[in-house]
Amino acid sequence: MNPEDIRYHKEHTWVRVSGKKGTIGITDYAQDALGDIVYIDLPEVDSVVEANSEISEIESTKATSSVISPVSGKILEVNEELSESPEVINEDPYNKGWIAVIEIENPSEVDDLMESAEYGKYVEEESK
Amino acid sequence: MKLAVLGSGPGGYVAAIKAAQLNAEVTVIEDTEVGGTCLNWGCIPTKAMLASSELLSKSRELGAFGIELKGELVPNLAKIIERKNKVVSTQVKGIKGLFKSWEITLKEGRGVLTSAGEIEVRTKDGNTGKVEADAIIIATGSRPAQIPTFPFDGKNILSSTEALELNEIPKSLLIVGAGVIGCEFACLYRELGADVTIVEMLPRAVATEDHEISELLERELKKKKIKLITEIRVARVEIKEDGVHAFLSDGKELVAEKMLVAIGRTFNSDNMGLESVGVHKGGRGEIIVNNKMETNVPGIYAVGDVTGGLLLAHMASKEGIVAAKNIMGIDATINYNVVPAAIFTSPEIASVGIREHQAAEKGIKYKTGHFQFRGLGKAHAMGEIAGFIKLIAEESSDKLIGAHIIGPHASDLIHEVALAMKAGLTVRDVADTIHAHPTLAEGVMEAAEDLHGEAIHVPKK
Repeated sequence: MNPEDIRYHKEHTWVRVSGKKGTIGITDYAQDALGDIVYIDLPEVDSVVEANSEISEIESTKATSSVISPVSGKILEVNEELSESPEVINEDPYNKGWIAVIEIENPSEVDDLMESAEYGKYVEEESK
Repeated sequence: MKLAVLGSGPGGYVAAIKAAQLNAEVTVIEDTEVGGTCLNWGCIPTKAMLASSELLSKSRELGAFGIELKGELVPNLAKIIERKNKVVSTQVKGIKGLFKSWEITLKEGRGVLTSAGEIEVRTKDGNTGKVEADAIIIATGSRPAQIPTFPFDGKNILSSTEALELNEIPKSLLIVGAGVIGCEFACLYRELGADVTIVEMLPRAVATEDHEISELLERELKKKKIKLITEIRVARVEIKEDGVHAFLSDGKELVAEKMLVAIGRTFNSDNMGLESVGVHKGGRGEIIVNNKMETNVPGIYAVGDVTGGLLLAHMASKEGIVAAKNIMGIDATINYNVVPAAIFTSPEIASVGIREHQAAEKGIKYKTGHFQFRGLGKAHAMGEIAGFIKLIAEESSDKLIGAHIIGPHASDLIHEVALAMKAGLTVRDVADTIHAHPTLAEGVMEAAEDLHGEAIHVPKK
């Protein structure tokens, strides 16, 4: 199931907030829809992203998709392990498959995101 | 008709053979190697070496294809170059054989025009001879352009020609210019194991291509860990003990064992008597010709790179045929509407016709169709899924006006669209043509279907 401790964006990304830092990744639904992930174009550390804009691109055997950032801020860290083993996103999208850590610029953006139960319903609607 | 052809690259040798077929008495004057840049220092040798590097790259994935490797893969540059030289010499012999069969005289030496009907030929050992002709075709080509403040030294600062003859694989290579040549060499030496950085003054790699192509190539370069720095110039270079130090326009400094300068090409139109005969040249030194390949001097024609056009071997050859026909009394003109071109990066790139941004700039009402190679069973079977096919058509007529392909065998796939464009076919014609399964060419059909929103292997939008 989708973890309770994170917030969800309608473009199927998540953020786990810890103080001013937010860890970002894609959801289980997204990884399942993409299929086997073969490459991720990781963002650059120190670059600045805006909420609702592309932070990264993921290539799977089926498609190439944008990863949309749920929040705005500066990239503090990226998951370098993914450049060698992007399949980790398929295996563990909410933990080992994290994409980047961002310095959250505007905490109110987090409040606008969905909670687990709401996202669950949203996905159900989407897949109908 | 006595014809003299200056230069035996793809412009000159094709013109010579065509004219001989039309019963001209032909002499070809060549001061380096038969086949010119294309065959000796361009198209063919780079493709021969890329065949080695691509095989190496593919071999790194042997496990994924169910083949176990017991041992190590080790590229041996000397042997790669040896193979390349063999490929080249076979082709050179082939052209010499064709010359012989068509009774074309080959004179080795540098040709200098002394009048509109006479060429002086200076051989390397200092002898001079004369060739008299009723018509002359200048097909002397181009050479790598250098940056005056840090010219080629053949050791640290290399031209593309010299980069084909290295003794060993450099640990690091800095390439100035992310055009066709820069990107091809980047892929070649990266696969062989060099750390490669490209510095480009324009905002994107292969900047003359469709922007979507550049974007995808940039990602593929990143995947290979080729570093691309755009909108930056190399301001100054210092050669030190540890290699080439390049000082960039943003104040940064890069160090590499060798530097390849691939910023373009200069025309071989100097020191050959053109001024004394009165042949008009343009501001870049290119010989000015009309669509019959005639210069301003009656009886003197020019074809290929030296005319400053597209710098494509196949274009030079077509121009050579046009010149030869006109000389032999058959009226012919050149048409540049449909000129396919290929870039042998990995993945390959091919294009024909208009780029999307050009269509937009010209105010053409157009539609595009896309298909990703990863949507094809054949691409998965081959293990080469990166890339796409993009078609551009005029909206009102549905006629194809451009195609851009990046992906496996792009250079072969482009010709279906080139032929369709030449024949004035519509996207509907391509979509309705049955394409064999499983092939990469199915992607062209799917892209055509997608242009009408009818592709089968694309999810509902």
